[in-house]
Amino acid sequence: MHVLFVEPDINLARAYEQAILLAGHSAVLARTAQEALFEADRILPNVIALELQLPGPNGLAFLHELRSYPDWQNIPVVLHTYAMPQAQAHIKNLLEAQFGVVSWLYKPQTSLAHLQMILESHGMPK
Amino acid sequence: MKQLVARAIVLNRTDYGEADRILTLLTPEFGKVNVLAKGVRRVKSKLAGGIELFSVSQVTFIKGRSGLGTLVSSRREVYYGNIVTDIDRTMKGYDYIKRLNFMTEDVPEAGYFELLCITFAALNDLTIATSVIEVWFGMQALRLSGHEPDLHRDSTGEPLKPNMQYAFDIDTMRFLQAENTGTFSANHIKMLRLSTQATTPHVLAKVQGGTQLCAQLITLIQNLQRHSGLIKL
Repeated sequence: MHVLFVEPDINLARAYEQAILLAGHSAVLARTAQEALFEADRILPNVIALELQLPGPNGLAFLHELRSYPDWQNIPVVLHTYAMPQAQAHIKNLLEAQFGVVSWLYKPQTSLAHLQMILESHGMPK
Repeated sequence: MKQLVARAIVLNRTDYGEADRILTLLTPEFGKVNVLAKGVRRVKSKLAGGIELFSVSQVTFIKGRSGLGTLVSSRREVYYGNIVTDIDRTMKGYDYIKRLNFMTEDVPEAGYFELLCITFAALNDLTIATSVIEVWFGMQALRLSGHEPDLHRDSTGEPLKPNMQYAFDIDTMRFLQAENTGTFSANHIKMLRLSTQATTPHVLAKVQGGTQLCAQLITLIQNLQRHSGLIKL
């Protein structure tokens, strides 16, 4: 399974990368939306873990761009973010219906093991 | 073939083949134009920078016989980069693009291009509340499409009174006197008039209590647009 982590905090991103590598998968890190598009084009990930709050264009802008390409329509996106789902309830439906967001994990309440389990459940090639 | 030059905002993008995209552009000079942008799918495409959303670009294109032109070059003039730093504003921005694309299906006019430019500029100014932008955008869209509500006379034809409370009758597009049950006051009506006359939402943002009034007007504005066919049901 190839995971693309779109995460601006490089220390956190490295921790996720290590966990994914130890579980026998591969991971690529991107700090910004632009980097993430570049990496998506390069590796064609099985699943994307996305922080909504990015420097420069935010995660929503990334999702719009990602989903504007037909061959990236079906890549599952797991939001792993500091944005609380309750505070963003007005965009939750849009994100799920229009942008194929399969899960919304609130970062401070999500363990690494849980994140890994969610990524594997959506990203493992069937 | 003659090359045409225009300022343009991208309303929609669709893939075409391996590396090309069809762009729907809104221009003040030629209305809505569909052009084939060759090679823009490649990450390093020279055209890519000029065809981002939330920007105004100068484009050169050749008109095609079938209605599909070809993009020759593109240079970004203005990029409203603050919009994409805020999740709510990003969502609003995409929503306005989608609404403009829907609204201009039949009647492309230069006014719609200006409307979108000014709306982007307002969204880009993080001090202006999105409720103010929503009300201004809605009233301007109603004005441009000829669906402006009557903001001077009530449903009986009487001039609107400053000390009266009103409800709104969507069928006649006029206010109804509703002394005890009406939710709209003279201040709301003044705000709607100002939204129609002001050339930018910045003017509304300067009104004391304007943000709150606009927040209370959003449902009415959205219903008016729905009723007038400006928002997809």
